[in-house]
Amino acid sequence: MPEAIEIQLKKGALELCVLALLSKADSYAYEIASRLADSIGMGEGTIYPLMRRLQTDGLVETYLVESSSGPSRKYYRLTEAGKASFNSQKSAWTSFSGAVAGILGGVK
Amino acid sequence: MTRQAFMARLVEGLRGLPPSIIADIVADYETHFTEGAAAGRSEADVTAALGDPGRLARELRAEHGLRRWEEERSASSGAGAVFAVLGLGAIDILILLPILMGVGGTLFGLGVACVALFFAGGVVFAAGPFSGFPGGTAAAVLAGLGLMSGAACMGAILALLGIGLVNALVWYGRLHYRLLKPALDS
Repeated sequence: MPEAIEIQLKKGALELCVLALLSKADSYAYEIASRLADSIGMGEGTIYPLMRRLQTDGLVETYLVESSSGPSRKYYRLTEAGKASFNSQKSAWTSFSGAVAGILGGVK
Repeated sequence: MTRQAFMARLVEGLRGLPPSIIADIVADYETHFTEGAAAGRSEADVTAALGDPGRLARELRAEHGLRRWEEERSASSGAGAVFAVLGLGAIDILILLPILMGVGGTLFGLGVACVALFFAGGVVFAAGPFSGFPGGTAAAVLAGLGLMSGAACMGAILALLGIGLVNALVWYGRLHYRLLKPALDS
């Protein structure tokens, strides 16, 4: 079931991508959703359940910012636990994807 | 699909969750539509990118049910988690259902047997010494205590098995989330 594998892969990477975006700059859900939807091809609706879970897990926290156009925006920023989680997930991902790439590179 | 139709189907699907949670979720998606409109996207475009609202609602509900089970191990949150997973409506989970009911029924039956055994032990313990239990008073007391502690031990093992069973189901259910599937091909 290649389709199921692709879903599982993206699901695993999605949290890491969100943490990575937030480690660069605080952001709001719409911006995160539209950036990730473009680059990894996920449904935009996915981002909200994920942000909810990250918040319950204490990896992100929110604050409101008044917007000049439209309603005030709920911004997300990483907590200390979120930064720690990002660093450990990032190194796990780097070593894993490096190993997979090495094996794939050996297959002609 | 229009914004209104999307929100209506989402709210419909979320029925049964605590109102504060529904309000939070609805506010999230309303903001998304507002942002989308501000960015010049049409409602149809935004709803298509968001995905199937019924599916989103089912997975949000499932996640809520599973969370409750992880926070509080009780019979009611356990039942909630089981129903949440079944609510995802994946076909292989429905095929599992008869097996699940068999295992669940067996656990329940053994649980009833445990309670009965415990009370039987209590009767032997209390009444045995006065009713000519073979082997005398001490044997009756010990036999009663033995039966009761045996029943308690079996009950504890059953409880662990039950918790393990629900945990396994929760893990299995999470594998079935398909939110990531791009909305366009659903």
